[in-house]
Amino acid sequence: MTGPAPTIALVGNPNAGKSSLFNALTGARQKIANYPGVTVERKSGHASFADGRPLALVDLPGSYSLSPASPDEAVTRDVVLGRQTGEKRPDALIVVVDAANLDNHLCFALELIALGLPTVVALNMLDLAERDGLTLDPDRLAAELGVPVVPTVAVRKRGLTELLAAVDGAILSHGLSATDQPAPPPGDTALHQRARAIARAATLAETPVRRWTQRVDAVALHPVFGLLILLALMFVMFQAVYAWSEAPIAWIEDGIAALQALASDHMAAGFLRGLVVEGLLAGVGAVVVFLPQILILFLFILLLEASGYMTRAAFLMDGIMAKVGLSGRGFIPLLSSFACAVPGIMATRAIPDAKDRLTTILIAPLMTCSARLPVYTLIIGAFIPNRSVGGSPVGLQGLVLFGLYVSGIVGALVVAFVLRRSVTKGNAAGFMMEMPRYQWPRLRDVGIALWQRAWIFLRRAGTIIAATTAVLWLLLSYPQAPAGGDVRQVDYSIAGRIASGLEVVVKPIGFNHDIALALIPAMAAREVAVSALATANAIDAGDDEDAVAQSLSERLQGRWSIATALAFLAWFVFAPQCISTIAITRRETNGWRWPLFMVGYLFALAYAAAGITYWTAVAFGLG
Amino acid sequence: MIAKLDSSPLGIAVRIARIDWTSMSHDEGRRLREFGLLEGSEVTPLHRGSLFSRDPLALTIGRMKVIIRSKQAAAIEVEPATT
Repeated sequence: MTGPAPTIALVGNPNAGKSSLFNALTGARQKIANYPGVTVERKSGHASFADGRPLALVDLPGSYSLSPASPDEAVTRDVVLGRQTGEKRPDALIVVVDAANLDNHLCFALELIALGLPTVVALNMLDLAERDGLTLDPDRLAAELGVPVVPTVAVRKRGLTELLAAVDGAILSHGLSATDQPAPPPGDTALHQRARAIARAATLAETPVRRWTQRVDAVALHPVFGLLILLALMFVMFQAVYAWSEAPIAWIEDGIAALQALASDHMAAGFLRGLVVEGLLAGVGAVVVFLPQILILFLFILLLEASGYMTRAAFLMDGIMAKVGLSGRGFIPLLSSFACAVPGIMATRAIPDAKDRLTTILIAPLMTCSARLPVYTLIIGAFIPNRSVGGSPVGLQGLVLFGLYVSGIVGALVVAFVLRRSVTKGNAAGFMMEMPRYQWPRLRDVGIALWQRAWIFLRRAGTIIAATTAVLWLLLSYPQAPAGGDVRQVDYSIAGRIASGLEVVVKPIGFNHDIALALIPAMAAREVAVSALATANAIDAGDDEDAVAQSLSERLQGRWSIATALAFLAWFVFAPQCISTIAITRRETNGWRWPLFMVGYLFALAYAAAGITYWTAVAFGLG
Repeated sequence: MIAKLDSSPLGIAVRIARIDWTSMSHDEGRRLREFGLLEGSEVTPLHRGSLFSRDPLALTIGRMKVIIRSKQAAAIEVEPATT
């Protein structure tokens, strides 16, 4: 057979193990993009049949039926019906069902089979079902469904060759007899009864549900202990972000310093060397240093998600979130926003209620994202003494950081409370969710996801951040201050003059010229504030060897008061300084109205918070 | 005797006798059915809320565990399970 490689879509319920199967089939050969017009992630990849012919695989968002309840599920429906713009109808479907949850997953499978496309059912996670006391008969299931059924264990790569062979066969035989019109899927209740009957027929033996998940849940979902465990997990997570990242950060810093030295030695003094050493390396380096912390944070979030704990956390948080008009569903996007608001806001697509979803989007930037870590770490490291609190093992620096996280969370809850009673008023949001079984996260799946995050971050550092730093370096270096004058180059430059204008506005809240200068390029991304300070500092130090030897934080200590530093921290709890977040909000809310509202209210809060912090600190004699 | 799912004791299996579909939105009703919460299904309520609230409710249906809010549970009438 010749012709283009067939496109095969993976479809199934949430928690059917679809992504693991997709990873197992494609390996790392994946591409993540967006469907045109909607911000639903399109995961595609390549694989090949046993004889080497290529095929394209698309992983569709998990869904319960062809009647969508969210934008994600709408994409799944549109793709399998061939209605999704820019996506051709798949040549075949692999319907992924959880072997241990047939009653439920067969409903969607029956709907999909009725579409009449070449279809193969992957009876996935068969090992877990067997461990759970279920004995199934795949042949019987195939006979009942009228399509091939292949047992698979995605995480052990079992059944993959057979699965693709069955797909190949289904496409071939379909071409011979594809005349029958697809039967319309039967109504809800009838469909369910049929699914249940088929599941029963295909089940040879069944023991009661194993108790250990129940036992774990008795503790993990306990009204008091459950919450304590959740809190403890969060605490460990944020401590680890600091403790585990120290060594790798030092390696990266050494590496960048070595590169700077190398460039200084091998390049002639002048424009290009300045741009590379003071601009690009100082600026980009100041941001890349945070890769370890970001990866540690993502690692925790991915592990919580893959183990099935995240839904438990949503359950525990639902009561609190309901009080401010949100639902436990919002907890997952908000927790992801601690890593980055962009995937967080994208994850709100799973929230079915529109007003609930909008509110969650609007408060997501208040979660302390990893881009704030560079700013927080720099300022905390420079101004908060590194000692323990009252002889306990808790460090003061860690405590301040914890306080900043808490401020963001409390701020978000208050804002949600106000919004749900004003601009996003509506019915109480619902909360319906399936709780997956606990399982060991698969190293491979976590590894692939982590690698994708690292790549996105590095690409950003290499493009947006490198470009803004280079532009900033130019604006800071020209025009050149007259030699021998007592005007600092940083003040004399174009950027310095723009900053002087902004300084008038931010002076009342304790911000100095340095900060005004850093705030403008930081509109691109918060961490740019650090690279901007670093670049300005590098130019300012110029050829003065003592100044060059000083670290950025030592220089800041000499130039800022503690009150100013604290106000700067308070500012970044709220300030919406991230182009990507604003852009994703525009896309997710289909217009400029809500992103503008978000930027407006967050800047107002940032200004107020910084002002209050500054004047309070000054009153305590820290000015 | 009519018992509602939102006040059923935890850990005891019950059978769904009737669901008041009119008290919830079309989408809510559909999602309940997709979870398999239908007249005749057997469910076991297991966990209810946390320190701050009696909401939500986690229950098992078949081999699946799902979360719903008490508002929906209040629309579900249950009777003792036969098995």
